[in-house]
Amino acid sequence: MTTLLRQEMFKLRHQNITWITVGFNLIVMTLFAVLTKLKPTWFDANNEVAMGFSGTLFLVFFLIGVASTIVAAEFQYGTIKALLYRKYYRGQVFASKVVTLLVYSIINYIIIFGYTMVLKLILFGNVDLTAKIGKTTIIGQLGLNLLGSFVGLWLILALVLLIANLFKTSSAAITIGILSYFAASILQVVQSFAIQKWNWLKWNPLNMLNAGAQIKDSTLHSFTKLSLTAITTGSIVYTLIFLLIGYYIFKKRNV
Amino acid sequence: MENILQVSQLSKRFGKKQALSNVEFTVGKGRIVGLIGPNGAGKTTIMKAILGLFSYEDGQIKIDNQPVSETSHQALAKVGALIEYPAIYPYLSGLDHLKLNATGDDVTNRIDRLVKQMKMDSYITRKAKNYSLGMKQKLGIALALINQPELVILDEPMNGLDPQATKDLRDVIIEQAAAGTAFLISSHILSELEKLVSEVVIIDHGEVIKQATIANLNQDQADYIILKTSDDEQAQIILQQAGIAVMKAPGVVFNQTATVTLAVVLKTLIQANIDVFDVLHQGEDLEASLLSILHNETKEG
Repeated sequence: MTTLLRQEMFKLRHQNITWITVGFNLIVMTLFAVLTKLKPTWFDANNEVAMGFSGTLFLVFFLIGVASTIVAAEFQYGTIKALLYRKYYRGQVFASKVVTLLVYSIINYIIIFGYTMVLKLILFGNVDLTAKIGKTTIIGQLGLNLLGSFVGLWLILALVLLIANLFKTSSAAITIGILSYFAASILQVVQSFAIQKWNWLKWNPLNMLNAGAQIKDSTLHSFTKLSLTAITTGSIVYTLIFLLIGYYIFKKRNV
Repeated sequence: MENILQVSQLSKRFGKKQALSNVEFTVGKGRIVGLIGPNGAGKTTIMKAILGLFSYEDGQIKIDNQPVSETSHQALAKVGALIEYPAIYPYLSGLDHLKLNATGDDVTNRIDRLVKQMKMDSYITRKAKNYSLGMKQKLGIALALINQPELVILDEPMNGLDPQATKDLRDVIIEQAAAGTAFLISSHILSELEKLVSEVVIIDHGEVIKQATIANLNQDQADYIILKTSDDEQAQIILQQAGIAVMKAPGVVFNQTATVTLAVVLKTLIQANIDVFDVLHQGEDLEASLLSILHNETKEG
């Protein structure tokens, strides 16, 4: 299994998208930080630090791309057979891809957190990380924002992995991934209306897409009708279900 | 002799189509065995089954006495393979591919040695997306060999290789086999395969028709002689009238036996005023043996 992980990491390290993702996020964060410094009336410094200078704004799109190619590219390049006719089992091959993606996503969050601290130190010496913002502190809110983004991101990535396994092409997986990312906000009004009427609908996966937002902002409870624990658990359960279905398709795939 | 690979009673269906039925053959340690047969005979299917790529209904596959199936892959640690197309990531260089796949000790030296042996030095650091078909094929074979497997399975390894590269590959295979590696190789280029293999397994319609050493195969087979004459049609008629069986083929083809010798046939034709321009022996190469075995099989079936 360590060999499989080493190999997946090796492949990821040698692809441009891996580095572009990190670089792009850093540029976005730098832009937001500089704008906040130059135009304090446009952006609130405390708020921007708590939001990690919008470092996660585009992260989900890049990671949807990485997630879809980590599976679909093996079919596209015809490398899937060579991946499977070794001493490893299909489950291990699939797991090595999921774990690699997980590690890569966590590294991105660590970089975003670290660079937020760097930007704060250089440009915003006056911002006190322990100052109150909403119900928590600035640093606490930053943590919640990153955690919320991470939980929401993985629900979508699990779906993208499933679709990539199903259709063997990255374009379908990327399209559905991006659509599902926007679906939560686009359908929010309709959905909350439906949930008012049929309470059980609150357990549908689209509602779980709000988990990230509710972790960041607990007032969303009035829309989702789920407690923070329930929606977080629900989101994680759906993530696992999507991964399991993806694994099942991968296992049954004729190569 | 100890076997590295043992396939017994292997059967596989794809829907209604019986792809393999009761396939049986062995590959001895350090032997080079050719897997031959017409297109669609089941060569790639057999190779994929050996590599645990799908489940099969009946039979058993053992590599070094360890069973292999879709759900037990342990024995595949001893196997290297190239099936259908080389597994190439366009964004990696050839060297990266070898680094990616090499496991165990002394990786750097092993890679260096293999690259030199296969004469890939000049392009090994270039990205694989710029490789020619032949370069990719060579890299695919290098990937099959890099972890010093005991059994190497190559599906059409000469595809896309120029004559020099084909010879280089042949040298590598013979060298590795001498060091104890067994090979199972399928190829359409029978004249090439013949220079390599010591044994063949002939497959048709998903069944093993014959497993034999090259020497035995040729001995068993008829000694066909092909004549080019001034009037082939007339020559066929005259020979048939003289009680000599001729085959339905272009030219005049007959099977040389103790009574029907070349001399007898030539005399008969010359007496009938037919000139003989050329005499070809067909019974000694793999292609002829294969064609004749498949031909007999069709007649019997």
